[in-house]
Amino acid sequence: MSAGGAGPLSAGGAGPTGAGDLAARQAALVAALVDGAPDPPGFAADRLAATREALLRKRSGQAAAAWPLLAAGLGADWSAFACAVLAGRPVSGAFRDGWDVALAARSADRLTEGAGRELAARERTHRYDGVRPPRRRLITQVAGLFRR
Amino acid sequence: MGAAVAAAAEGPPGVLPAPVAGLGVGWRPEIAGVVARLPDLGFCEVIAESLDLRHPDRPPAGPSRGVTDLRGRGIPVVPHGVRLGLGDAEGVDPGRVAHLAACARALDAPLVSEHVAFVRAAGREAGHLLPVPRTREALDVLVEGVRRTQAELEVPLALEPIAALFDWPDDEYAEGDFLTELLDRTGALLLLDVANVHANARNRGQDPSAVLDRMPLGRVAYVHVAGGAVHDGLYHDTHLDPVPSAVLMLLEEVRERGAAPAVMLERDGRYPPAAELRGELAAIVASARLGPIPSAPSETVPSASPEPVP
Repeated sequence: MSAGGAGPLSAGGAGPTGAGDLAARQAALVAALVDGAPDPPGFAADRLAATREALLRKRSGQAAAAWPLLAAGLGADWSAFACAVLAGRPVSGAFRDGWDVALAARSADRLTEGAGRELAARERTHRYDGVRPPRRRLITQVAGLFRR
Repeated sequence: MGAAVAAAAEGPPGVLPAPVAGLGVGWRPEIAGVVARLPDLGFCEVIAESLDLRHPDRPPAGPSRGVTDLRGRGIPVVPHGVRLGLGDAEGVDPGRVAHLAACARALDAPLVSEHVAFVRAAGREAGHLLPVPRTREALDVLVEGVRRTQAELEVPLALEPIAALFDWPDDEYAEGDFLTELLDRTGALLLLDVANVHANARNRGQDPSAVLDRMPLGRVAYVHVAGGAVHDGLYHDTHLDPVPSAVLMLLEEVRERGAAPAVMLERDGRYPPAAELRGELAAIVASARLGPIPSAPSETVPSASPEPVP
């Protein structure tokens, strides 16, 4: 190795825990950060909590960009409302995240007129059952072919 | 693997040809107007996953109009991947590698960049760039991911160390040593994000200068600068806030060490008014003492061999 001082800090080969099972350890970490699974052992709980919150803030920001009228309708409450809805939900993109927030807002009677129009427009072009990702309706796909 | 990558792997540190130069900006649609009017723009970066190359004839499609306009002016555009997952233990997805390579070809890019991170596991997306443990096992995973990516690229690949709020409990290497070994084994270049260096040093209670001492600064292709904010005592690299003076001071230090050939601002939301954005760019130019931008070549740069092959 050409760089001075390069090399493992600790003498000896594999790490102290679980060498060779990086895939499983990465999966456990993602589950803890996204799905609400328990923290893997050895990590600083406060740092994982901060990462979890940062991830939710980032997702809520991206969802706001994809659903501007919904975000505007919730105003200053957007971040807290969206983060509460998205916590524990799999990461599947801002479009679906925003749709989940919109459905929660409708249930909580927090959908403003603009947000309602935004949701209705998406429901006209896409089908979303809350389980599988939103899909373009057949009519939208056909129209898209003519637009090409 | 392209000739440039092989040459970069063999060349002594400090004499690498800079693939980009001057001041750059992370191109985003929201700031396209400001970016288009910057007089001294040396290069841009575009998020690779935002380019849909399957349907170049309908929006959202191909490189955006603003990006193709910049290319038309001869301004280099660097595809910056954020979801390849070079550190994913399950390996990089060939389709994602192919997309990154297609972006580089479509933009006639001088290089491509990605992160030293993992982004998904067991079919679950993290939605975030997550740190890998600094272990031999993770190093082998990264080397394999980088090599598979380089094999499809015709231009050099630069790797960006991320800002992370936590570390793995079983780290075996200091960050600089881990990066040096990764670059030595792959011939990749370094995308040095000074905001990430600041964030990690602050959150780990380290001296950022000492961190830089161990970084492979001779291999810097270009530098990222971004804003952040402190929440609950931790510095978050948000890309939504102004660039703190501490980050600009670190940029100055990197420049003094001769490792800031090209520097760009990353902003991903809460976009400030144009004057404020231009002010941040001017501060970067001053801190990095970026000279006048070399006039852009009018002819098309051949993408296969950006430097002479002996």
